[in-house]
Order: sequence, then C-alpha cells, then structure tokens
Amino acid sequence: MTTMRKFPLILLAAAALAACSSVPADNAQLDHARSAYAAAQGDGRTATLAPVEFRQSAAALALAEAAYARGDGAARVDQLAYLAGQRVATAQQIALRKDAEARIAQAGAARDAMRLAARTREADDATAAAHEAQDDAAHAQRQSESAQRQAVAAQRDAQASQQLAQASQQQAGDAEQRNRMLESQLRDLNAKQTERGMVVTIGDLLFDTDRAQLKPGGRQPIERLGAFLQQYPRRKARIEGYTDSTGSASHNLALSGRRADAVRAALVDLGVNPVQLSAQGYGESNPVAGNESSGGRQMNRRVEVVLSNDEGDIGKR
Amino acid sequence: AHAASAGSAEAAPADLASARDKLGRAEVALAAHDNDTALALAQQSQADAQLAAAKTEAMRAQRSAQALDASARALREEMARKAP
Repeated sequence: MTTMRKFPLILLAAAALAACSSVPADNAQLDHARSAYAAAQGDGRTATLAPVEFRQSAAALALAEAAYARGDGAARVDQLAYLAGQRVATAQQIALRKDAEARIAQAGAARDAMRLAARTREADDATAAAHEAQDDAAHAQRQSESAQRQAVAAQRDAQASQQLAQASQQQAGDAEQRNRMLESQLRDLNAKQTERGMVVTIGDLLFDTDRAQLKPGGRQPIERLGAFLQQYPRRKARIEGYTDSTGSASHNLALSGRRADAVRAALVDLGVNPVQLSAQGYGESNPVAGNESSGGRQMNRRVEVVLSNDEGDIGKR
Repeated sequence: AHAASAGSAEAAPADLASARDKLGRAEVALAAHDNDTALALAQQSQADAQLAAAKTEAMRAQRSAQALDASARALREEMARKAP
C-alpha cells in the first residue's frame, strides 16, 4: 500500500524534476532586451520625451519575461524579446527626435531673442547717437553764438581802429601837408637854416643909401613874410638891422635900428600881430662879407628876420 | 512602406533591409500555410520598420537642429562683430 501510495509521489517528483529541467537556460535575446531597456531607463530622456513608446517597450519586455518564466519555447521567448528590444530602440530614437525638435524650437526662440536684442541695441545706439548729436549741436550753437559775439566785438574794435587810423592818417596827412606848405613858404622867403633858427635875409634893395624908408620895389618879400606870420600866429620874428662899415658906428647903429623898425611897422601895417615882432639894430657888427669891396658892403647892408619855431622860442643874437 | 517614405534607405539601411526581408519571408510562410512563422516574421518586420522610421526622423531632426545651431552661432558672431 505504501509503495502504491509512494508511486504517484515519485511521479510527481519526476514530473517536478522534468519541469525544472525544461526551464530554458539564459536567453541571449532576452538579455539583450533587458540591458537595452535598463540603458534607456538609466538615460531618463526616453521616459520623459517618449513616455508612450517607453511604456509600450516595458510592456513588450514584460510579455517576453512572462513567456520566459512560463517556460515557453525558446522561439517564442526570442520573438517576444526581439520585439521588446526593437520597441526600446524605437522609443530611444523617438526621444532623440523630440530632443532635436526641442533644440530647434529653442534655437528659433534664441535667434528671435538675439535679433530683438540686436534691434534694441541698435535703437539704443541710435537714440544715444541722436542725443549726442543734439548735445553736439547745442554746444556748436553756443560756440557759434559766442564766436558771433566775439566777431561783432572784433568788428567794432576794427572799426574803431580804422577810424583811429584814419584820424591818425588825416592828422599825419595834415601835419605833412602843413610841413610841406611851411617848407614851400620858407623856400619862397629864401629862409636859411642857421644855428639861430630860420633866417630870412632881406637885401639892401629895401632902402636907399643912408635912408630908413622902404622902397616900393622891396615890398614883395615883406608881404610874403607878413602873410607867413599871419598864417602861423604862434611863431615870432626878430627883425635885425645891419649896415656896412661906411660912416660912424653910432650912426650906423641908429640907422640899422630905424630900418629894423621900418620893417616891423610895415609888417604890422600888413596885419601881423605886434606881439609876434621885435626889432633891433646891430649897426655894422656881424658882417657877412668884407667891407673892402662894394659887393661885400652891399651884402652887409641888410635886414635879417629870425623866425621862431612853433612854440615861439627864438635864438638870441 | 512608412519607413521607406521617410527616407530610411539612407538613414537606417540595415533596419529597412531587415524589415523588407522579413516581410518577404512572412509572405512566403503565409503562402505555405505556416501561419505561426508568418505572424512572427510580420511582427518583427513591423518592429524593424518602425525603428527605421524613428531613426530616420530622429536623424532628420538632429540635422536640422545642427544646422540651426550653426546659423545661430554665425548670427551671434556676426552681431558680436558689429557691436561697437
């Protein structure tokens, strides 16, 4: 009985043993699918970017694992493991595509942002440049206004200077003209520059011998002298009478004094102010030539008129 | 057919060739009334073709992204040069 009872147990054990031996050894295809799935899971991007396909690949792998656990035929396990591996690979590729598409979108946004930044910067630069230009313009205008004021002031100065120059020129011209006129008049008077000043010598044609009466023929030089003294009222004239050595010295001194007075009186008659005039006889002193010859004596008989400068100074005899 | 239209011959030639081969063999098995084999081959062919299509689309997107990156870099450099 016991043997009878034991037999099914042995059968069961044998059956169990057979079942154990029928469990397939390592399946290469399944190992490959497992490691591929593990890699995808470790990456993380596949689950994130391709969640549907990743779940499908997980389900496919579970089917293969179940078949393997059930002890399905190697061909069946291989088939399911192969399909699972391909699904994992497909999910990974889809994740790669999604990643690339995200980068494309980001690149577009970045490019737009960059262009916007560039445009903003250009606008800012333009605004800054405009402000700078405005400042420059205002500065230039201020400078221009200042320069204009300076120019106006300079123009006024120039005009004043010109007027001053014209006045100076006029005065210089006037002085020059006066000097020329004076020189011309002095030339007409036959004036000589001496150490006493300008001296006009009037010869003996004025008077007859031993007389103090002016001869009519000698009036012309007197009239010129009179006109000159009237034109230059600040100048003074000292009228000096001289004789030759004929006759006594005292007589000659008196004669020369009367002749000098006669010339003075004639000048006053012509309108010369008497304060400009003085008269003095010097007789036979200060001869200009020898009294031995008649020519020398004629040169010594004379009236000399010494003219002062403009200030009225006159050299003493 | 979907994998072929996506240009997979260029991007994933091995996967596409495998898919076509298995499809042909599945038809043969079906004609021989070996239904189990035909089904297995057809399933593998479909998985291969889907992988080929995914690879092709991923490669295309990656190329576009690279081109965009290059153009963005060029734009950035151009703007950096224009900057005062």
